[in-house]
Amino acid sequence: MNIEKSREQHVRSKENAIKYGFWLLLMFFLTLLPFLLPNPFYMRLVTELFIYGLLAMSLDVLLGYTGLLSFMHAAYMGIGAYSVGIFLTYVEIPPSLWLSFPLGVGIVLLIALPVGWLQVRTGGFAFALLTIAFGMMYYTLVWKSRDITGGDDGMIGIPKPDITIGNWSLGSTGDPLIMYYFTLFVVLICFLVTRRIIQSPFGAVLEGIRENEERASFIGYNIRRFKLLGWLLACCLAGVCGVLFTYLKGSVSPTMMDATAGGAVLMMTLLGGLGTLWGPFLGAALFIFGQDFISTLTEHWMVFMGLAVMLLVLFMPKGIGGMINQFLEKRQSTKGE
Amino acid sequence: MQGEVVFWVQSGLNCLVLGGLLLLIAIGLNIIYGISRVINLAHASLYALGAYFGYTLVTTGINFFLAILIAPIMVAALGAVIERVIIEPTRERPMVYSLILTYGLMVFMDGMLKYIWGDAIHFVEVPAVLSQSISIAGIPYPFYRVFILIVCVVVMIGLALLLEKTKLGMAMRAASNIPEMVSGLGINMKLIHVSVFALGCMLAGIGGIIAGPLFTVYPMMGGEMLISCFVVLVIGGLGSLKGVTISALLVGAVQTLGFIFITDYAMVVVYVMMAIILIFMPRGIVGEGKFE
Repeated sequence: MNIEKSREQHVRSKENAIKYGFWLLLMFFLTLLPFLLPNPFYMRLVTELFIYGLLAMSLDVLLGYTGLLSFMHAAYMGIGAYSVGIFLTYVEIPPSLWLSFPLGVGIVLLIALPVGWLQVRTGGFAFALLTIAFGMMYYTLVWKSRDITGGDDGMIGIPKPDITIGNWSLGSTGDPLIMYYFTLFVVLICFLVTRRIIQSPFGAVLEGIRENEERASFIGYNIRRFKLLGWLLACCLAGVCGVLFTYLKGSVSPTMMDATAGGAVLMMTLLGGLGTLWGPFLGAALFIFGQDFISTLTEHWMVFMGLAVMLLVLFMPKGIGGMINQFLEKRQSTKGE
Repeated sequence: MQGEVVFWVQSGLNCLVLGGLLLLIAIGLNIIYGISRVINLAHASLYALGAYFGYTLVTTGINFFLAILIAPIMVAALGAVIERVIIEPTRERPMVYSLILTYGLMVFMDGMLKYIWGDAIHFVEVPAVLSQSISIAGIPYPFYRVFILIVCVVVMIGLALLLEKTKLGMAMRAASNIPEMVSGLGINMKLIHVSVFALGCMLAGIGGIIAGPLFTVYPMMGGEMLISCFVVLVIGGLGSLKGVTISALLVGAVQTLGFIFITDYAMVVVYVMMAIILIFMPRGIVGEGKFE
């Protein structure tokens, strides 16, 4: 009995070592990546990939862990991007990272709070329908407020703030290399914080709600409050994505928050796998490269995207992340025997 | 003074026309939800498809009245195929999957519409009988809009008769309450699901072909209608036929008047109205909504 236990511990610690080794290696690789890439274009592409990966992960927090479906999650990224864009363009002070970053995320939360409060008052179907209705509302507002947001042209030439700590300047966000490391840093922090939250008792309650709402409410949890908190967490992360996006591109356009963009995020999350935080990053990478590839072949990429979503749900509902997890578990169980 | 009366009567009739169209499309979505617990996000794409079928039939020289009969049947047949191939396999899975699946179908169908018919705006010619203007108590009004109202009323009466008086309708209503019991009584639930889905699609198809000449036919028409339908469903309460009827007329009126008085932000008013109703009546306007 004792021997068995210690053997089990040994196996587990060995597995943990492999896991941490893998993560360390990955971090090492990502730190060196900018020097391996041939030109700044690819560096910016990888940075964009991190941002969309984070966005897909935030949708996974909502869909994979809380069981709530948002069709227009990109809209909240758009709100963050526009808030920062408008602030940096119109407010007459030198562009500041420390002011604009919390402001962008704060505005997203300020809008997401009342909307989320309304949405969680209804059930699953109506929640999903309402995300579309509100998403379209934001889109309409941005599109029609031509004087401030530039309408369908969007905003271009947004000033890029410097990254400063006290008086010490690290460099401008306009520099692709600096922006790469800044994005990597922020995305990593967000990933770790979200992982911690998901693994906490709070995360367990969210998963309980996903599995059986009635049972969770009988245990005594306030379902609506937990759903709202899950929603706010997802929207907050989407806001971070929006802010990073504005820094990276220096421009925003309404197409980043329309229904197609919302569907693209959903597709990335599904492709990557629900219920794994790292899966959506893979999904985002595959989606962005896939879309790039298909759009060079045909302009009717919508047909392929629709087909891909249907095939994914029908034949691969767990996505790539789910398949990798399944594979690892299977290997583990055969080893255990 | 005279001009003002004319304006209000015409606007009032316009409200009714849009309300009737919304009702026709939203009720199809609603009966599918009531019985199969599936929200078909591609419903409005089927509406657009109905309009495109109508356009193609009319341009190939088929009488418009005949096209009104043929196009919805074509849409319904496609609906039956969709139900068997896509909806049926996910019936046992959580509702998120059917939503995402029909979302994929919507993207696919909108892409196909663009692929087949192109980006251009198409105009549908209606027979001379319909394109004239009539006068209602001295106030001129296009007869085609009155025709839409007549079609909506006729279809709604037909639907009510189908649900209330026929065996199939009775089975459908029973299935919306206790599906296990209905299938226990030896009624083929699969057949019920398919026929309800096809019926809903047919209603969308009818809405599409009669809306075509009014709004013109273009690829985005489905998306715009979809959003309005959601608002109607949320305000009326999912699964409630009475609530949806009231809310369709309400949304039709607010949307029409909104476009007259505030143009650009008309839809925002509709969303705000929806939000207020949700705060005070989360189960819809008559409190019968079955949100799950």
